[in-house]
Amino acid sequence: MPERGNAPNSPRVGLFVTCLVDSMRPNVGFAAVALLKSAGCKVEIPLAQTCCGQPAFNSGADEATKPIARQVIETFEPFDYLVAPSGSCAGMIKAHYPELFADDPIWLDRAKRLAAKTHELLSFLVDVRGFRPQNVACKASATYHDSCSGLRELGVKAQPRALLSSVKGLELRPLEGDETCCGFGGTFCVKYSDISNAIVGEKAQNVVATGADLLLGGDLGCLMNMAGKLSREGAKTRVFHTAEILAGMSAYAIGEESTGAAGKEAK
Amino acid sequence: MSAPSGTFQERVDKALGNAQLKVALERTTGNARRKRAAAVEAWPDFVAARAAAAAIKDHSIAHMAYYLEMFERNALASGAQVHWARDPDEACKIVVDICKAANARTVTRSKSMLGEEIGLPHALAGAGIRRVETDLAEHIIQLAGETPSHIIWPAAHRTREDVAKLFDEHHREKPTAHDVVSMVGSARKELREDFFAADVGISGANFLCADTGAICTITNEGNAELTTTPPRVHIVTAGIEKIVASTEHALQLTRLLVRSATGADLTQYTTFHCGPKRPGDLDGPDQFHIVLVDHGRTEMLTEMPEMLRCLRCGACLNHCVVYRAIGGHAYGGAYPGPMGSVLTPVFDGLEQTRDLPNACTLNGQCRQVCPVDIPLPTMLRHWREQSWRAGYEPKTLRAAIRLWAFFAARPRLYQLAQAVALPAMRLFAKGGWISSLPLASGWTAARDLPKPPGESFLTSIRKGGTP
Amino acid sequence: MSARNDIFAAIRKARPEVAAPTSIASEAQACSQAMKRTLPPLDASDLVGLFTARVSAEKVGATVERVARLTDLPGAVARYVATNALAPDFALQPDPRLQQLAWQDAPGAELRPGAPLRRDTALAVGLALGGIAETGSLIFHSGAEAPTLYGFLPLHHLVALDAQTLMPLLEDYAVFASGLPVPRNVNLVTGASGTTDIEGVLARGAHGPGNLHIVIFN
Repeated sequence: MPERGNAPNSPRVGLFVTCLVDSMRPNVGFAAVALLKSAGCKVEIPLAQTCCGQPAFNSGADEATKPIARQVIETFEPFDYLVAPSGSCAGMIKAHYPELFADDPIWLDRAKRLAAKTHELLSFLVDVRGFRPQNVACKASATYHDSCSGLRELGVKAQPRALLSSVKGLELRPLEGDETCCGFGGTFCVKYSDISNAIVGEKAQNVVATGADLLLGGDLGCLMNMAGKLSREGAKTRVFHTAEILAGMSAYAIGEESTGAAGKEAK
Repeated sequence: MSAPSGTFQERVDKALGNAQLKVALERTTGNARRKRAAAVEAWPDFVAARAAAAAIKDHSIAHMAYYLEMFERNALASGAQVHWARDPDEACKIVVDICKAANARTVTRSKSMLGEEIGLPHALAGAGIRRVETDLAEHIIQLAGETPSHIIWPAAHRTREDVAKLFDEHHREKPTAHDVVSMVGSARKELREDFFAADVGISGANFLCADTGAICTITNEGNAELTTTPPRVHIVTAGIEKIVASTEHALQLTRLLVRSATGADLTQYTTFHCGPKRPGDLDGPDQFHIVLVDHGRTEMLTEMPEMLRCLRCGACLNHCVVYRAIGGHAYGGAYPGPMGSVLTPVFDGLEQTRDLPNACTLNGQCRQVCPVDIPLPTMLRHWREQSWRAGYEPKTLRAAIRLWAFFAARPRLYQLAQAVALPAMRLFAKGGWISSLPLASGWTAARDLPKPPGESFLTSIRKGGTP
Repeated sequence: MSARNDIFAAIRKARPEVAAPTSIASEAQACSQAMKRTLPPLDASDLVGLFTARVSAEKVGATVERVARLTDLPGAVARYVATNALAPDFALQPDPRLQQLAWQDAPGAELRPGAPLRRDTALAVGLALGGIAETGSLIFHSGAEAPTLYGFLPLHHLVALDAQTLMPLLEDYAVFASGLPVPRNVNLVTGASGTTDIEGVLARGAHGPGNLHIVIFN
């Protein structure tokens, strides 16, 4: 892919890689970097990042969330954009940081300014950068799950489909209940694992019923939940983050054995 | 009638272990979702209409005292008697006293969630008054000795096969066949005599119209009018948040309420009740009582005013993945689903009910389908925050979140811990998957966990994988 | 303190009353207007056609026929009785406009109006006060000439509707009603009684009429 990221007018993008991608699937991070560069961005990856704080926030632990949020704000406010390969984490920063600091005028102002330049990766590529992938092929059938935070907090729905329509050979099949939650819900899936299991069980059935080779989505939490259930049920569906397909870095699906550091081998 | 018992987890276990429940829930909520989607599709500006509906409710909430006084004045002028109750006990006592004063032996009741909320069925039983539920679904669950599991379809947990069994066992004349139409016909016959035997009819209210003092009810079977017209006494129980400025506002909200509930443009019977029988009337009750109930609503004016918009349409239940998995009884309160998880802590206390706002994925679909745009996920999270502050969350959870947050706020320490944890986790993998992991059984009980990489993304970057 | 006083005190504490009644009224009006602007466009030039289409849609489930004038109602009732194999006795709503019709002259059947309304009445014939085209609803205001139960007890409800009384929207009904005394019951009837209480499947004739037939006259 052509790299246009060093032009003088390139926006500086701080990649918020998300804790799950960082720990569980670096390949998504590398794919995000490649896509952002192809879309003409100068990408930087601050090392002083961990998580957006959502597990604490959604547990009601606002005071424990604040130091994490302050650190994200401090780290990313110098950039033109904060981009995250997750609707859930971008939604947390965009919609919920201002809520978290509602009673703290100074931090509220900083949170709002960061929120205004925070984007989910796939919608950023389309809506802000007008990007379409060139010369990417993937001969397979795929179905798409719209993760809830991206869909409802950020309006991510058409953008991933527009991007995937440029992938040669990829056939997109409709998924029954594509806007229905997969039962992940962050800490919900371990706190109420039996309810979560019932929900993801239904999702897995719907995925299998499409007969598609691949299940794609834009949030690693949901994808790991669905992939884990599909694996447990013995389904053959391969699960990827959409960025991996778009960047042509889809050698190993979630849960497929690889050796060494994921980013280097998935070429 | 037995209310759901046990802990939340016990009720969930019971629900998830009942395969028939899922079948019944999916038939009812699936039909409801499809019909709602078609109705909303036919209203291109539905999103703007939701905002307008929210504004109509917010208007009456902002001027609640003004409109309640206007309502009371007009209702009294129509000959109605208006009673006020701070809590369920007061409300039930008022109703029971009216029944006793009328020497009532039998009361008919048309479906009212407020009646369930205040425990009216128990209060009537305690007073030795025979209660006949006339709504078909309420009739089914009365035969089954249960409480409602859905605010629009109280028998949503029952399949048609269950209903056939109940009717065969209890009806004086058994249904001629077990298709839905024959069973509805059987209920029609069974209840007909009771409509005329009743001394008192009790109903709820969808709206209290301030401009006329009338009660508006939205129903579809005709049982409501047969409950409220023949008996000597008609009693309405209603929450004070049902107040609206006018007949016009009530009808405008009805458009959204009905589409969101059943997908129809209007239900069969939109009825306004204003006072008792008048001179020359050939039917109608001699006495008309309205019991207005607070039960936490005045506190909600400060704490969660948006929740007072709720029209009780049930759309949030039908679209909730958790409700669809566990059904209404698992929630343990009168109102299940997302709206119930917001309301039940108000009524029953947060300490007893902290599981309800927590057992939610915060996926936001409830808000998306809410006809009055109630920010349900925000309110559920608000309860979690209160529960955390009050110390109701389990100790182990609190410790785990605090420990995790400590590291998450310190990137260097976090990355050191991660460098230990990831290789350790890899030891449990077979192939690319981990099927069992200590301390992570919540995950691995139901699904496999992908084997993590040997090193994190940021470690790779630090080691020179510059972007 | 009484419950009433407590409740009002709590409301006023949370929502102190500062607005003047006139400003509250104009705010209420603005709310209604805002809602009206969201409504799907409705062709008000053919209200009869619109009403007929709505009311005979599957989810409303009534049947409709048109006659020239109210005096044609007995003929329509006779046809309905014959088609549905009903007895010629029926309950007639005590409205003088209906009572004075020439029921004995109806061709084909010897109609016997005036049977008392009972819990097993097969057919009642009534006259609507008006109709709402948007929803396909019939309007009834209870009173000495329009008892409520005529619309709820029978298995078949046959209703005459004057085409001139059709109004486009629910809001138009609110305006219409505001010029009349408030009746004990307003019944907006939209189709035959039905229930979806068993598995969300629609079945007719739950407790009210299983069949609603509307005869529109000019």
